[in-house]
Amino acid sequence: MSSSDNEQPAEGGNPTVPEKSKEQGVSRRGFVGSAGLATVGLALAIPAAMSFRSVIPNVLYEPPRRFKVGALERFTEGGVFVAEHRVFIFREQDTLHCIGAICSHLGCTVQLAKMPDAEGGFEFHCPCHGSLFRADGTNFAGPAPRPLDYYTLEIAVDDGQLIVDKSRPADKLWRLTVRS
Amino acid sequence: MKSRTLKNPEDLTEAGAARKPAGFRLADWSWSWSPRSEREAGDAVVTNFLLHWFPNKISLASLSVKYSFWLGTITAFLFFYLVFTGVILMFHYIPSVERAYASIKDIEFAISYGAFLRASHRIAAHMMVAMVFLHMVRVFLTGSYRNGGLARQFRPLNWWIGLVLLVLTLFLSFTGYLLPWDQLAYWAITVGTNIAQAVPGYGDEIRFFLLGGNEINQNTLIRFYVLHCMFLPLIVTGLFLWHMWRIRKDGMACDDRLALEERAQESRPTPSKTYSLLGVTAGRTATVEASLVDEDKHKVRAVPAVVRRITIVCLLTFALTSALAVWLGSPLEEAANPMVTPNPAKAPWYFLWLQELVAITTIRLGGFTINGGFLGGVLIPSAMLLWGFLTPFIDKSSRSAVGVWFSRERRLQNTIFIIVCLAVIALTYLGTYMRGPYWTVIWPWQAWPEFPPQL
Amino acid sequence: MKRDQLMLLVSGVLSLLALGWATQRNASPGYLEYQAEFRILVEEQLGPEKAAAVPAGVQQIWVEPASRVDRCISCHLGVTWAGLDDAPEPFRSHPTGPLENHPIEKFGCTLCHGGQGSATGLKDAHGWIKHWEDPLLDSQLAEDYKIPEPYAFMEMKCNTCHRFDREVEGMSRLNLAKQIVNEKGCRACHTINSRGGTIGPDLTDIGDKHPEQYDFERLTNFPSVFNWQVGHLQDPKAYTSDSIMPNFGLKTDEAQAVTMLMLSWRKHDVPLELLPITGLKDEPTEAEAAREKMMLEGDGRFFVENTCFICHDVSSLGIFSATKIGPDLAQAAEDVPRRFGRTLEDFLANPSGTMAVVLSKQIILTDEDKAEAARLMHLAYEKFKQQKADAEKETDAATSTVPASDGEPASQTHEN
Repeated sequence: MSSSDNEQPAEGGNPTVPEKSKEQGVSRRGFVGSAGLATVGLALAIPAAMSFRSVIPNVLYEPPRRFKVGALERFTEGGVFVAEHRVFIFREQDTLHCIGAICSHLGCTVQLAKMPDAEGGFEFHCPCHGSLFRADGTNFAGPAPRPLDYYTLEIAVDDGQLIVDKSRPADKLWRLTVRS
Repeated sequence: MKSRTLKNPEDLTEAGAARKPAGFRLADWSWSWSPRSEREAGDAVVTNFLLHWFPNKISLASLSVKYSFWLGTITAFLFFYLVFTGVILMFHYIPSVERAYASIKDIEFAISYGAFLRASHRIAAHMMVAMVFLHMVRVFLTGSYRNGGLARQFRPLNWWIGLVLLVLTLFLSFTGYLLPWDQLAYWAITVGTNIAQAVPGYGDEIRFFLLGGNEINQNTLIRFYVLHCMFLPLIVTGLFLWHMWRIRKDGMACDDRLALEERAQESRPTPSKTYSLLGVTAGRTATVEASLVDEDKHKVRAVPAVVRRITIVCLLTFALTSALAVWLGSPLEEAANPMVTPNPAKAPWYFLWLQELVAITTIRLGGFTINGGFLGGVLIPSAMLLWGFLTPFIDKSSRSAVGVWFSRERRLQNTIFIIVCLAVIALTYLGTYMRGPYWTVIWPWQAWPEFPPQL
Repeated sequence: MKRDQLMLLVSGVLSLLALGWATQRNASPGYLEYQAEFRILVEEQLGPEKAAAVPAGVQQIWVEPASRVDRCISCHLGVTWAGLDDAPEPFRSHPTGPLENHPIEKFGCTLCHGGQGSATGLKDAHGWIKHWEDPLLDSQLAEDYKIPEPYAFMEMKCNTCHRFDREVEGMSRLNLAKQIVNEKGCRACHTINSRGGTIGPDLTDIGDKHPEQYDFERLTNFPSVFNWQVGHLQDPKAYTSDSIMPNFGLKTDEAQAVTMLMLSWRKHDVPLELLPITGLKDEPTEAEAAREKMMLEGDGRFFVENTCFICHDVSSLGIFSATKIGPDLAQAAEDVPRRFGRTLEDFLANPSGTMAVVLSKQIILTDEDKAEAARLMHLAYEKFKQQKADAEKETDAATSTVPASDGEPASQTHEN
């Protein structure tokens, strides 16, 4: 290679070389140069893209979004908090519904607060920034921007356990009716 | 700086003005890939942080592939590629005894390009060890560890930095070996650290410190992890920068003669360059001397010549690494099991010549035993390293032999050096490919014994 | 320098080619093809609505308590679907029987089937690769070993958790093996689950013994630990010449069953929540415990410690030989004078016939030992006579026509 180096010791560096005689060479060299530059750019961009893709996980080590929470008998009248999955399950005679315990503000776990009144009403209180929600999950005070989430419930075909499906949000009026 | 580059290049260039097309030009905004004038080329070196470590002009001799084989550049590229792939792998790897192996399995099977990244990292590491070694061989055989007679040269320092970098590279690779936490890793580190145990007097303490205990366990893993990912790379980066800075101060050895010849001829009047008073009084430094060489005849502009060649070298290295990575992949044996020693248990390949030495140099004469661990594991490698450090002073060849391959003046030491290198390579080969179960020699034409499966 | 520009282009193109190769390897995993095929299959058999629910990409079951992850369902897509019982593999529905007690989302796949759960390629996942010691226990394996039931080896996996259960439905081979282990009294010599003798090696974790630690030289068929153990069980001396383990005359399928049982005895880290509620410990029945106690601690333990029991019963002292090669030593005090015309002490001092060889080569006894042996044999004879008299009395007293069975001396001893 060193021999070829000497053929053109000062490429473009000598301003006295007449330009026109090189014009043909310039355009060809220009193409080869640009193409080379493009491959360099791609050779940098592709590994960067690969690396970026690699840090987007393909598999998750998370509890499933749809899970069994236990036999129906576990859920008596009123609310039961399933700490493991951060949901409240409420039962009113033959109907069940599920409200997520994740505050719609910044994701803290809200607490069920019994009201001192005679009817046994309750509210959800968020310990982090003081958001308050009514029993149906509607936000009425504090920074929370929207009501708490409702999730769909099912009865497992195989063993009759209650299933919560967090991947299917439900309407506020949605209820699961069971025969008691 | 900015105002200068933003100025219309027409005002600054002489001939470039005539062919400059209208519209956007990269050179107007940052620096030019293929500058069209002296001024643009110089500007590129000045404005760009990375290009800044090049001189404005560089001799054709130092660009020659035949002289340096660009081994240092290849090594540097491999190091930075290892840092890059290593950082990505750090997103995926968990340095815990319970989860390390499973996280490597995930890298292999569940993470996009995980297997490729890991294989690239592994191949690049092996190649880096080999390239550092070859780079050292090149520097030795060209006598480039010696000063060429220019002022303020001190090449031995760079040679020493290089030797330290060689040892650090081995250690970097060694610490990375443990991380997959498979049988290969576990037992290679067991054997490797037991070689260190042969150090007289403090062997046990050294091993205890290396492992963070008496056994390889979580302490060892996190130690090796931190050394591998943070500590050693930072030191290597620092020493690498020093290495680069020294080469700019000392100049390439192959340029020395050129500069000296030119000075001897004194054929053409010295261009009016300002250099330090010190430089005048104490002779000219390599930088100044190099700038006095007849530019048109022997030199080219660093931008684009050096930039382009470095890019070529990096791309070729990258292509080779990637192809090997896809082709060979990276093995992962069973999860580490302290109960079962694989047969044979081997150190990483670059330490196998040491393991061989340890095995060979254990000599029994009657009741008297020479401990191979000490002789082969400590004394011989220390003597080799010491010889390496003292080499610049042992060398008595003349200045005209600096930067010359296989100079006759260094025939003796070159011969010894080559013999030692070949011995190391032969022992490494022997240890890697010819040592079977119970450390018996298995010739290439013999079948490798295989242990039957459980089922 | 002109050449450098071309060189740059060439090296750039080479880099891109290498990257292309890497991308191509990464972008075409087998499971995507299977998923596409499965989608078509579901659409044909169950309708397009269901087909939309076929997943894409790597699927996994994370068995968190066992720190395992099984990605088998990335290809074996029908496993969790009902109504695909006749679909071709890998799309077939899993038989529902075993899943009732072992829900797939809780146990995953490889805990029962073996193989490499984390892998996503055919060979890797099935464990047919180097450095994976836990291959799929599939029908091919059974075929290789000429075992008629295609999934016989899977019982070994069942036994990971059901190790201490005596009988489990569906584990016919290992149930048989466990029965054999009890009948032949393996525990007289071997410790199993931290109970038993110390004459032979501890078998509690025998399944973990590495192939390297076996000597395959005398094995005539395909060398594997399984074959070695089967052969060894059928003829111990052929494999280790100085073995004192008797030949129990096991049939091949019995030896295979016992081998499967033995190889399933491994150190396993199965979390409590996956284990069966029954049998977390190896509890002997009362009769077994009494029998073991007699063997290891009773009056007759001398005969166990000195390995006499390998060939001889000492029935009245509760010592039972699995082989019964020699006569019952309980009657030796009467037998020896009758057969050899010498006293027991004299015979022991100067044995003749087989015992001459045994006592000179295999069982070396000091004079004190011999005196002790004679003393114990006289004691045994006394007990034997006592037991016989008791039994006769019982038979006379009883109106029953069924005589006291010879096969139940253990309970008799227990009563004494």
